[in-house]
Amino acid sequence: MSKKPNQQPALHKVIMVGSGGVGKSALTLQFMYDEFVEDYEPTKADSYRKKVVLDGEEVQIDILDTAGQEDYAAIRDNYFRSGEGFLCVFSITEDESFQATQEFRDQILRVKNDENIPFLLVGNKSDLDEKRKVSLAEANARAQQWGVPYVETSAKTRDNVDKVGIFSLVV
Amino acid sequence: MGPPPVVTGVSPKEGPPGTRVTVRGEFLGTGPADLQGLTICDCDCLLSAEWKSSNKIIARSGPGKGRGDIIVTTRYGGRGTSTVQFRGYHETIGPMKESAVWVEEAPLQTLAWGRRSMSPTNYQHEDPLGLSVEENDKKFPEDDLHELFPEGSGDLASEHFLAGWFLLEHHHATTFDDLRAGLAFLRRKVDGQKEGQLSFLKANVGSVMDQLDTLMILKDKFETDVKEHGPDPTVEVEKAIQESMLEADKLFNEVLARRDRADATRNALGVLQRFKFLFGLPVSIERNIRKGDYDVVINDYARAKNLFSNTDVAIFKKVLVEVEQRINRLREILQNKLQEMPSTLEEQKKIIRNLVNLEATGDPAWDGICCHSSFISQRLSSCRDEHIAAEIAVVEDTGKTSKSGLHSTPLSHKFGKSSSNSNNSQSQDLLSSVPQRVLFVEELTEIVSYRFPDLWKLGQAYFSGELHVKIEPSRQAQFKRMVLTAIELFSGLLRAAVLPHTLDRMSVQRQTYGTWPSQGMEAVVPWLPRCLRYVRATYSSLIRLDLPGEVLDIVAILIFDLRLHCMSTLFQQASEHVKSLHKGETWKIEFDSKHGGITDLPSQFECKVQEVVQRVKESVLLGEQRETPLLENSNAQRELSALVQGLLLSFSQSLEHLAFSNEAMMQEDHSPAVSQLIGCPAVYRGHEKESSGPAWEQRLLTTLSNCQYTAKVLLPHLSDLFARHGFPSPILPIAAATNALNTLERRILEVYLEQKSDPLVHRVSPSLVSRVLTQIVETVAEELSRLMSCVTRFSVEGNQQARADIQAIQETARLFTTPTAQSFFDEALEAIPPLTNAADKKVVEDTLAKFRVRMRLQLMCFGDPKNQQAVAVAGM
Repeated sequence: MSKKPNQQPALHKVIMVGSGGVGKSALTLQFMYDEFVEDYEPTKADSYRKKVVLDGEEVQIDILDTAGQEDYAAIRDNYFRSGEGFLCVFSITEDESFQATQEFRDQILRVKNDENIPFLLVGNKSDLDEKRKVSLAEANARAQQWGVPYVETSAKTRDNVDKVGIFSLVV
Repeated sequence: MGPPPVVTGVSPKEGPPGTRVTVRGEFLGTGPADLQGLTICDCDCLLSAEWKSSNKIIARSGPGKGRGDIIVTTRYGGRGTSTVQFRGYHETIGPMKESAVWVEEAPLQTLAWGRRSMSPTNYQHEDPLGLSVEENDKKFPEDDLHELFPEGSGDLASEHFLAGWFLLEHHHATTFDDLRAGLAFLRRKVDGQKEGQLSFLKANVGSVMDQLDTLMILKDKFETDVKEHGPDPTVEVEKAIQESMLEADKLFNEVLARRDRADATRNALGVLQRFKFLFGLPVSIERNIRKGDYDVVINDYARAKNLFSNTDVAIFKKVLVEVEQRINRLREILQNKLQEMPSTLEEQKKIIRNLVNLEATGDPAWDGICCHSSFISQRLSSCRDEHIAAEIAVVEDTGKTSKSGLHSTPLSHKFGKSSSNSNNSQSQDLLSSVPQRVLFVEELTEIVSYRFPDLWKLGQAYFSGELHVKIEPSRQAQFKRMVLTAIELFSGLLRAAVLPHTLDRMSVQRQTYGTWPSQGMEAVVPWLPRCLRYVRATYSSLIRLDLPGEVLDIVAILIFDLRLHCMSTLFQQASEHVKSLHKGETWKIEFDSKHGGITDLPSQFECKVQEVVQRVKESVLLGEQRETPLLENSNAQRELSALVQGLLLSFSQSLEHLAFSNEAMMQEDHSPAVSQLIGCPAVYRGHEKESSGPAWEQRLLTTLSNCQYTAKVLLPHLSDLFARHGFPSPILPIAAATNALNTLERRILEVYLEQKSDPLVHRVSPSLVSRVLTQIVETVAEELSRLMSCVTRFSVEGNQQARADIQAIQETARLFTTPTAQSFFDEALEAIPPLTNAADKKVVEDTLAKFRVRMRLQLMCFGDPKNQQAVAVAGM
């Protein structure tokens, strides 16, 4: 009901990027609604908005969940332009998705034209440690190279999910 | 009330109409039934909404365009809010079109959503610069654009497209860097497309080579063909086609010729058939006429006329003349048949139709109507004649028998009412056989009931055009007159028979209605209600015909008169009967504690009145269909009043007759007895005329009692009776009757008193009383002494009796006792031996004392002669 108070809460626009099937939507839904969706349904472009209290201040997080599939590569620019912070997600069980993060990083930087844009590298599916293809060190190394934080999460077990959300706000 | 629903997530966030949208949020309802509303971009999507959980609803977007909230409404949370928005856009998506949304392969649920506008202005093109317009919420005012570029357009597809407009419209807030990036993007795209053409050729070089080879082979083949068959290969083909056409024509010509021949043969046969029909026509007409198949004849005739009427061939003309002759004969037959009566309505209609079809001269329908009308008149008249003749015959017959009857029943003379009484007895005899007039009425009504409707319907058919003849408007009036005449005749005939007094003797039509013998009217009286019933039945059948009011009124008036007449005759009859009630007086007195002794005469009277009232009510009083209640007419009311009065008075007459007709008789019988019967004439008469009932005095008294009873009890009772049967309260007649009864009562009283005082005084004037009495007393005393001297021996009781009697007489007639009489009394007393016993003397004394007390009144009569009259009255 506080949608139209005198002072509109600060709005932070976060965009989920990453290859198809790495768990962007799962992470989003877990963050938003504490639920884990088993079914896989490719996302087109979803929009979520949530109020959170941060440092005693109420803020709104607007999450744009984008499509990971290459089919949509052409329209990504549009979305990226409006983003204020980016969560670049890959699956620790899939090396390809990890490699793809480089492309996303490049595209974002090209569109936003800002090296210091808030950016978070997320390795998802940490519950599937036995199938791990991307080592923690490897990921950490890349994050360090980009100068961004790295977090390993599990949308299934909600591991570090809140961290992801809160982090994205901090930056 | 729960918390209002909040939508916090939408997947996807944009799409064309029909996009499957997953809506997420909180408090989205506790169940499918709780979900009351869902709008996406102000479009109601409740129909497609699928409630999954309180956090999730899946629906399909509606035709809404642009950004809009997703509002969920639940029963318990009310109308919700949305933190995210959905953007609906319309686009045409081809197979090569890149789309951010999944194009649903499943057909849309509602076709209306698929109404994608094909207008190019609605195309939602991706930004050609590849720049997002998402932030572009603030639009550049369109009016300004028009001002800046009056000729231009921002539409990419428009021929007036101006880049400036486009940039201002879509990118007026974009940074220059972005625009540069966009330009680079556009260049890349254009280059990519150019590259695309080249790469297409490269990829398909194999098939391009194949096509070239094929073209070369085709060219070679063609050239060899030209060498072989010359430059124009179609000549030979043309020739072959011509040849085959000729062949085909030949084939068909043969068939066509055969068909023509067949047609000719058929025509010839048809002509022959027609001729045969024509030549056979006279014979067949005759045969059909004999058979009565007029319809067939008419049909044939019409056909023949159709076929040959314009012929010039002599033989045909001859045949036609013959046919005409026969048809003329048929016309005559039909016309005669039309005149023939009786026939049913249907038959008549048929004949008329036939005549019309035969184009008969004149107006057969009208003729039929006239004929019918005159037929009815004839029937009515002949019926009248027949019945009058029969009546006369009967009257003559009964005239003879009644003459002989007079001899055989001399009693009827004795009452001095020869004519009416003989008629009465005669009607008694005739009751078994219905009077001729009644039969007449029955037959007459029957004729009208059966025949008249046909006439009317025929007329209706004529004027409604059902008979297919030309209608002359003047005929309307004529027909009406006809109907009126028929009904008038009917009414007149009935009146002549039953109500002769209502007819104007001088009127012209009187003769046609027939004159019935003046006698025999009385015989009809008991049958009047039945006559009324007949007439009413006819009337109701006439009403059903929907006749004009005038016609019905004639009958209505007739019925009214008949009812009136019926009522008066009924009452008169009753009066007659009541008048003769006295003949049936039995003098059986029934004692009633309230009213004293009465005979059953009053109750007989009451019964009679009741009966007549009942009958009048049943037959006359109540109006039936289209009749006025009889008593609404003031004449009828007066008449009724008079009749009731007559009826009531007739009873008083009857009573009077009872009282005074006997008086006369009594006087004759009585007067000679006066001298002998001093004291008690009633006893004397009782002996003498035992057979003729009780004594006259007693009769007087009884009649008096009846009178009083009637006036006091019966009349109010009857008044009630009348009221109960719906008659107007007969106040006047009752008053008159009461009056009459009171007068009668007084008269009877007077007569009785007179009678009581009569034996001694009646013929003696008061002044002579003392003279006569002294004489009488002397005679009586002398006789007494003579009687006493004759007695040789007295018993004690006899002694006492004689003593008491003599002393009583002596005492009574003291005033009129002369010395001579006194001496006779003394002599008489002396003749009786003296009573020795004191007790015996005492008995005589007692008897005398009792006598004085009991006979006080009588004794007073012998007191003062001046008071005699008063005393007589008191003695009563």
